[in-house]
Amino acid sequence: MKLEVVGKSVIRVDGLAKITGKAIYPQDLFMDDMVFGKTLRSKKPHAHVKIDISKAKTIPGVIKILTYKDVPNNHHGVLLKDHEVLCSKKVRAIGDPLAFVIAVTEKIAKRAIEAIEVTYEEIKGVFDPFEAMKEDAPKVHDGSNIIYHYKLRKGDVEAAFEKCHAVVEGEYKTSMVDHAFLQPEAGLAYKDGDSIVVCVATQYPHFDQLEIAEALIMPLEKIKVINTAVGGAFGGREDITMQIHLALAAMLTGKPVKTIYSREESFEAHSKRHPMTMYYKTGANSEGKLMAMKAKIIGDTGAYASWAINVLRKAGVHATGPYEIPNVKIDSYAVYTNNPFAGAMRGFGAAQVPIGHEQQMDMLAEKLAIDPITFRLINCFTVGSKTATGQVLEESIPLQNCIEAVAEAMNFSKKTEGAV
Amino acid sequence: MKVIQLKVNGGVYKVDIEEDMRLLDVLRDKLRLTGTKEGCGEGECGACTVIMDGVSVNACMVMAFQAEGKEIITIEGIQRKDELHPIQRAFLEEGAVQCGFCTPGMILSAKALLDRNPSPSRKEIREGISGNLCRCTGYNQIITSVEKASQYLRREEEEK
Amino acid sequence: MEIKEVFRKKNVKETLEILEHYQEQCKIIAGGTDIIIQLREGIEKSSVLVDISNIEELKVVKETEKWIEIGSGVTFTEIAREFTLHDKFSALVEAAASVGSPQIRNAATIGGNICNASPAADFIPPLLALNAVVVLERKNAIREMCLEEFIIDKEKVALKADELLTKIRFKKLQTNQGLGFSKLGFRKALAISKISTAVFLELEENNKCKGTRIATGALGRHGLRERRVEEFLQEKALDPSTVHQGGRKLQKEIEKRLYGRPSLAFKKEAVIGIFHKAVDKAFKSCKIEGGI
Repeated sequence: MKLEVVGKSVIRVDGLAKITGKAIYPQDLFMDDMVFGKTLRSKKPHAHVKIDISKAKTIPGVIKILTYKDVPNNHHGVLLKDHEVLCSKKVRAIGDPLAFVIAVTEKIAKRAIEAIEVTYEEIKGVFDPFEAMKEDAPKVHDGSNIIYHYKLRKGDVEAAFEKCHAVVEGEYKTSMVDHAFLQPEAGLAYKDGDSIVVCVATQYPHFDQLEIAEALIMPLEKIKVINTAVGGAFGGREDITMQIHLALAAMLTGKPVKTIYSREESFEAHSKRHPMTMYYKTGANSEGKLMAMKAKIIGDTGAYASWAINVLRKAGVHATGPYEIPNVKIDSYAVYTNNPFAGAMRGFGAAQVPIGHEQQMDMLAEKLAIDPITFRLINCFTVGSKTATGQVLEESIPLQNCIEAVAEAMNFSKKTEGAV
Repeated sequence: MKVIQLKVNGGVYKVDIEEDMRLLDVLRDKLRLTGTKEGCGEGECGACTVIMDGVSVNACMVMAFQAEGKEIITIEGIQRKDELHPIQRAFLEEGAVQCGFCTPGMILSAKALLDRNPSPSRKEIREGISGNLCRCTGYNQIITSVEKASQYLRREEEEK
Repeated sequence: MEIKEVFRKKNVKETLEILEHYQEQCKIIAGGTDIIIQLREGIEKSSVLVDISNIEELKVVKETEKWIEIGSGVTFTEIAREFTLHDKFSALVEAAASVGSPQIRNAATIGGNICNASPAADFIPPLLALNAVVVLERKNAIREMCLEEFIIDKEKVALKADELLTKIRFKKLQTNQGLGFSKLGFRKALAISKISTAVFLELEENNKCKGTRIATGALGRHGLRERRVEEFLQEKALDPSTVHQGGRKLQKEIEKRLYGRPSLAFKKEAVIGIFHKAVDKAFKSCKIEGGI
């Protein structure tokens, strides 16, 4: 078979538009009679709120101020519908949207935002996922703060640990990370007959369409989402930010409505990488073969679930790392707190666990007096290996070659000469 | 309100500005030269880089009234008639473009560098684009492109 | 930003008239790299701006018999270029080149760096170590002041509402004198200083320290002279053990000054290395023949 693209360097289709500055991101869109939208966001992490828009409404140039009362179905969310489009009674994190001002200029919209009176009645919040897991912890939503528990069981870990020659334990923490894609969120929505068109930079135009239609209680075919050029995403554009606000604004005012987030607002509006705390116990026999691993992983998903379930499941599935271990017990949890919400970010939960399992490997190798490369080669997946979830790997597992190539490139044997 | 006159990409413009506008707002909102991007608004990301009187500046860090009488080059002004500028060509060929949001600013920083130093080392290129953030590429392709562009430009000089 | 009026003058005289007329309502803008952020964040509340970035007389670097004089409107790109040929002043090139990014250095000025008086201002420590003097002008009056006195507190300088900082001057270095600068940031480019240190040295025979001025940035409310350390090094031969003890003295100072700050734990360790580097560089600069 003659391959025309695979293995060749091809010029990307959107390259020309991007190097000439002609590629259109949502902030680059302008329409006649266009007006501006601006979001009022919570300054408190956990509070009952009341907002008074009466003063702000009278500012000349303010067209309309949307609150929860204007939203036909005030819910959205990729897995659980736990976000409100605009908060009705309670805010659960700093940055939660409270109102959306539509005004003739951006400056007037800003002034109106400042003129909205917000009364916060603060509630005790919870910011540590361990605290949040306790029965008597403040509840972020109505039910338990634990929204997901993934269990993986293989063999008998306790019995296996008894027989291990070396066992190491460790606790590992990773921090919250922002995608910091370079293009802050922006969008433009307008009415086209009885349809609403929303132009945004998104990872999920079809899902945005569904979420907008559900929130507005409109037929799916009356909502059109146009994906513009997307200035980086890395998982951070998988959740709704402004899409529903804009669609509602266009529907209720009949005008094209544009909004652009500042970098600061962008940080408040989109998800983060889940911070995780990971407890690991790993054991091997005297030949350096891994025998057992136990892990407990707690992911702080902040105020909203977003993709927490998939992320913590993936963290659990990948907790062994690329190593064959006969006895495995893994528990991973996704927990609500009043922190900024966490969701998708490159790796989807698989990026955090190596901090734990690889450090465990190094510590075990040291304890067994085996060099860390050899120790990994003894245990790494090859064709025919069975993963902790029972999957038999049937093809293309070049990990061994990869480790060997790395060891050679870093001149590993030379560097460790004379060392234990 | 105030009227300023400035030269952008060779053309002279008289623009009504508000006192608190930045050069970036004039370029994007008044002249609709939207190739200049805003990524942070505080001089950290370099997406709004333009060349002003021969040196690179962040258009978000210049007040519009300060640009009176200045000569400005944006991404829209570096093409030569229908032909791409060698830096643009190199970016395209080397895959230095992904999401594209940093690209215009990056190209202008590269231009400011190559105008001053036609054969920069990779280290000098790194320094030259140190005020421009890219979240997609990891920079290597960008540095290679600037290297390649410098070869294109030197070859052009020799052919002259 | 609620700016009502903006002015852009081509000479100092007219600028001073504007300042006299508007007094506290008015703020000077040059490179804009600090003030535009402050306006955006609503910290800066002036309603009138006067731009000095177009005033040629403020963009001059001049050498007289004893002094070097830098106009307040000189950018960091220009400073780095100006001093590149003077090896004795490579510390100034290094300090100027460590400011922000190329774009920031093309706009930001030495006068702005001083008057904004951020605790982390990159160029204040070397100027303090050079015992620089600032020249302040108002309509029909001119005064001079030692930079150290000019900086009153964090982000606060002794500049009156109708005054303009026009020049900064410092004495040229003699053959046995030298300047060193070292900075620690969290990344290579666009990093705000976490620690910066500048060291001026005057050596006698056998590397005895005849005089020294040491200044740090980001280790207090503003750039400061480290007099205890200076006193300690005075009249001592600068061997590795003395320099090491000097570093420990500086560490003690930092421990007192930053007590209770979360950054103390790492700063008190890192400062020793940064101090060593600055002393080494100052030492090398002393050995460069010929004054400037």
